[in-house]
Amino acid sequence: MFPGRHVHPGEGNKVPAWARRATPRETGTVVVMTTDTVSLTGLRAVYGTGTRRVTALDGVSTSFASGTFTAVMGPSGSGKSTLLHCAAGLDSPTEGVVTIDGTRLNDLGEDELTRLRRDRIGFVFQAFNLVSTLTAAQNVELPLRLAGRRPPARDVTAALDAVGLADRAGHRPSELSGGEQQRVAVARAVITRPAVVFADEPTGALDSAASRQVLRLLRALVDDHGQTVVMVTHDPAAAAYADRVLLLADGRVVDELDGGITAAVVAARIAERETLATTPAERSC
Amino acid sequence: MLSIRRSASAFVAVAIGVTLVAAATLLLASGRPQVPDRLARAAVVVQSPEGGASADEFLPTRPWSATATAGLVDRLAALPGVTAAVPDRTFYAQPLIDGRPSRADTGREDAHQGHGWSSAQLGGLRLTAGEPPRRPGEVVVDRALGLRTGTPVTLLTAAGPEPYTVTGLVDAPGVQVADEVAAALAPGVRAVGLVLAPGTDPERVAAAARGVVGPDGRVLTGDARGALEPRNDARTRWIGMQVLTATAALAGFVTIFVVASTFAFTIAQRRRELGLLRAVGATGRQVRRMVSVDALVVGASAGLVGLLVGAALAPVLGRLLVEVGFEPSTFRVRYTPWPIVLSLVAGPVIALLAVWSASRRAARVRPLEALREAAVEQRPIGRLRVATGALLVAAGVALSVGTATADEARVGAQYALYAVMALVAGATVLSPAVVGPVVRLLRSPIRRRGGAIGMLVRGGALTATRRTASTAAPVLLTVAFAVLVSGMVRTSTAAWAAGRADNVNAGWIVLPDRAPGLSDQAVAATNGTALLPTTVFRTDPATPPADRPLTALGVDPAGFAAANRALTVVAGSLDDLRGDDTVVVTAAANLRPSEPYAVVFADGELVSLRVVAVVTEDSLPGDLLVPRAVVRTHDPSALTSTVYVRDRIDPPLGARIVDVATWAAEADAAEDRLVWLFTLLLIGVSAGYGAIAVANTLLLAAAGRAADLRLIRMAGATRRQVIWLVTAESALVVLIGALLGGVVAFVGLLSIRAGLAAQVGAPVDLVVPWSVIVGVVGLCLLLAALASVLPTWRMLRHRPARSPVGVAG
Repeated sequence: MFPGRHVHPGEGNKVPAWARRATPRETGTVVVMTTDTVSLTGLRAVYGTGTRRVTALDGVSTSFASGTFTAVMGPSGSGKSTLLHCAAGLDSPTEGVVTIDGTRLNDLGEDELTRLRRDRIGFVFQAFNLVSTLTAAQNVELPLRLAGRRPPARDVTAALDAVGLADRAGHRPSELSGGEQQRVAVARAVITRPAVVFADEPTGALDSAASRQVLRLLRALVDDHGQTVVMVTHDPAAAAYADRVLLLADGRVVDELDGGITAAVVAARIAERETLATTPAERSC
Repeated sequence: MLSIRRSASAFVAVAIGVTLVAAATLLLASGRPQVPDRLARAAVVVQSPEGGASADEFLPTRPWSATATAGLVDRLAALPGVTAAVPDRTFYAQPLIDGRPSRADTGREDAHQGHGWSSAQLGGLRLTAGEPPRRPGEVVVDRALGLRTGTPVTLLTAAGPEPYTVTGLVDAPGVQVADEVAAALAPGVRAVGLVLAPGTDPERVAAAARGVVGPDGRVLTGDARGALEPRNDARTRWIGMQVLTATAALAGFVTIFVVASTFAFTIAQRRRELGLLRAVGATGRQVRRMVSVDALVVGASAGLVGLLVGAALAPVLGRLLVEVGFEPSTFRVRYTPWPIVLSLVAGPVIALLAVWSASRRAARVRPLEALREAAVEQRPIGRLRVATGALLVAAGVALSVGTATADEARVGAQYALYAVMALVAGATVLSPAVVGPVVRLLRSPIRRRGGAIGMLVRGGALTATRRTASTAAPVLLTVAFAVLVSGMVRTSTAAWAAGRADNVNAGWIVLPDRAPGLSDQAVAATNGTALLPTTVFRTDPATPPADRPLTALGVDPAGFAAANRALTVVAGSLDDLRGDDTVVVTAAANLRPSEPYAVVFADGELVSLRVVAVVTEDSLPGDLLVPRAVVRTHDPSALTSTVYVRDRIDPPLGARIVDVATWAAEADAAEDRLVWLFTLLLIGVSAGYGAIAVANTLLLAAAGRAADLRLIRMAGATRRQVIWLVTAESALVVLIGALLGGVVAFVGLLSIRAGLAAQVGAPVDLVVPWSVIVGVVGLCLLLAALASVLPTWRMLRHRPARSPVGVAG
């Protein structure tokens, strides 16, 4: 789909420089703070009470700059999904502030949050991404329809074309492969031209070939359209497509990789964290 | 967002509901009074004035006296265009075939009515053989009796059997005698028919007649002459109306109920999809609107189908109603606009009402639920739900008490229906809260029997309490309705019988057999205490309305006092009830002894009576007591309803004898039979519906559980184990529903019993209709097992791992 533009990071040691050229931080002369699309400050999320009390996030502060691709990684229960849900306004944190495009999510009511999600945020989930009774094209135009707009047919076709599925517009989810379904989900996520796209394990249910297609798509969104993408994953190969990797453990950001990201590097870092985590003394640091 | 498969069950439920509503309302609108054949040729009929308001609307009108009739007939006959003015006299006269009343006669009121020959022209009656009756002792009878002209026939009249000779035959029920005989047997006249010259405008004659009659009667033309239909037909039609109204109301309610639980179920199954919609930007209101529009589309289309089916079914049902006795034989189905419009509106309205609660839940689905496992529900019951449920249950209990304390059984039956509706709705609303405890209660037997299956069944029911509850809801409805309605009818019938038996101090009762009442000769043969009822009319200047109809009982005071245990004298003495001008009134009349009391008797004469005693209201099965001879003087055709006798005797002609217990049980037997038929009809509607709903929800549940079951298969369960699992699950659901329904019914029955006991004044035994319970629960179990096992069986034909675990949702 993007011939010659990208080499799978898992196959080489380095991502070619041109592939990252468009990201603002590289070209950036502006102050980084002002281009942050999403910023999280002191996020804490606590669920349950008494002995069943779980602290999913324990004071996370970070930000996702405009036009970057960030991967959030961590073992099960590290709080990476909660981080994504809070950042996207799907869940509200116990403490802390979430700002998207300058809007404080804490101040919004349920309906305002819904409208914000509709207009400023795109989602790609691991599974159950599409409404089974609607065709691919109808699924793509759904957010705009919900906003009370009727998108021109050519916009929808263009969106499907961008993910290589223009010929599948009339098919229902049950007639599409898992990879095709995820690509339709990507098309839907960006049809509203959102400020940020959140992806929750978008390749979790896909084979490696389909995974590569979806990840290249997300990468291309960042490179070609300056889209901001935040992706939760546990797969180092998927994380290698990102500009930046956040590593979470026990609800805290424990490591961060900026540049030079390859699957091998990410895997090495994770392995390093795991050996550290086995030592109780280190863990308390 | 409509999915055919998900909407199918709601569609079916709405369609059936609208079918019932359409059929019932079409039949309701068709039930109009018919002009009796006997008066069909009289274009204008003058009817005597309607009696004032009374509890029983089916009493006759206040008759004109002989002198009033004569004057009226003369003046009406003199009107231009009128060729004849004929008084229509109706009295009791029943031909005996082989020495006793014919069996065929018992059902038809007009078969034992006699008329004067001159009124034959009002119906265009023609002799098929012989001559008209000209002298006393001559009679024209129905050809269907098989008698020939010139042969003797015995007519049973109010006085006793009398010999007649057949002079002619006609093609109509009843007997026709000479006018002078008719005038003697029916001195009071209630209608005068006018035969018009050809080409005369009936309306013009009617206008002139109104000038002649004034306030002393009503002038009727065209369809308005339907007011002259036999009062029994009017009564039957009224009963039919009650049945149809109740059926339509029940159908509407059950439909809303079933469709609501179907919608609740689909919403529970669609949580993930709704969560996804919320995540990609649908507001709660949009989700709610979407769900409502789904319901509206389903409701409108199903309503249309229901209307068509209902319209087609109406004539068939109409014939059935006539056969059973809920409608008079003259009943015909007519297609009028309002039932059609109503039915068209009913579909969408039912669907919208039904989806109301489900749509609220749908709107509350959180976007994160797109990411969670669907089966785990949170917050099984909300505060609003608890409040609604409690309110409904309270209303239901209040209505049950109303049922028990209602003065009339018919009114009580109506209350009872609404009581059950409220109780059932309340129990359903509250059921999610009860599922957990009930499942835990059933825990030990399930665990012991089932091992792994028991664990799975219990776990499933506990985590998805709402799903379990909405599947159990139709069972609850079916069981509660069937048990409560049948139990109530049986209990109250038994209670009233006990109350009646308690009040009577006699060993045996003589009752009419194949005749509307006992003749004087039969009464004399029994030597017992007889009741001779007649309808009198009283105009009391202090208490309007005028011409209030009252039931006066002609009795022998000493015998009556001895036979009636309920009699309580407040003032005066019953012994003074003799002579031709005395009366005993109840406390309701608000009079003291020796005050005057004027009434109009059946012969139209105004008679001034003197109050000799006042008794309590529940002392009498009527309003007044008068000496038996007074009734006989003024109403030559009055028939004795009941004779109390001390010892068993051979019953006289046209009578039979029963002991007090039997009499008490079968008094109102005809009405009880209708009530029981009505009950079965209602149970049929609700049980049939409930059965459909049980099958419906379980089919849906089976479809929704495909992924789960595949997982269980992959975890090592054999096919047989999976079949057992779904069977046990559906059995548990039926059990929960039956248990809750039983509790609802029991609460209702207990309150009804308490009320009845207070009213009857004796302890009342609760009659539990076990056969109905076993039948209904068995039907539910069978359907539930079929509806869950069959789709599972079909699914299990495939290898467990072949189909992917549903990404398509």
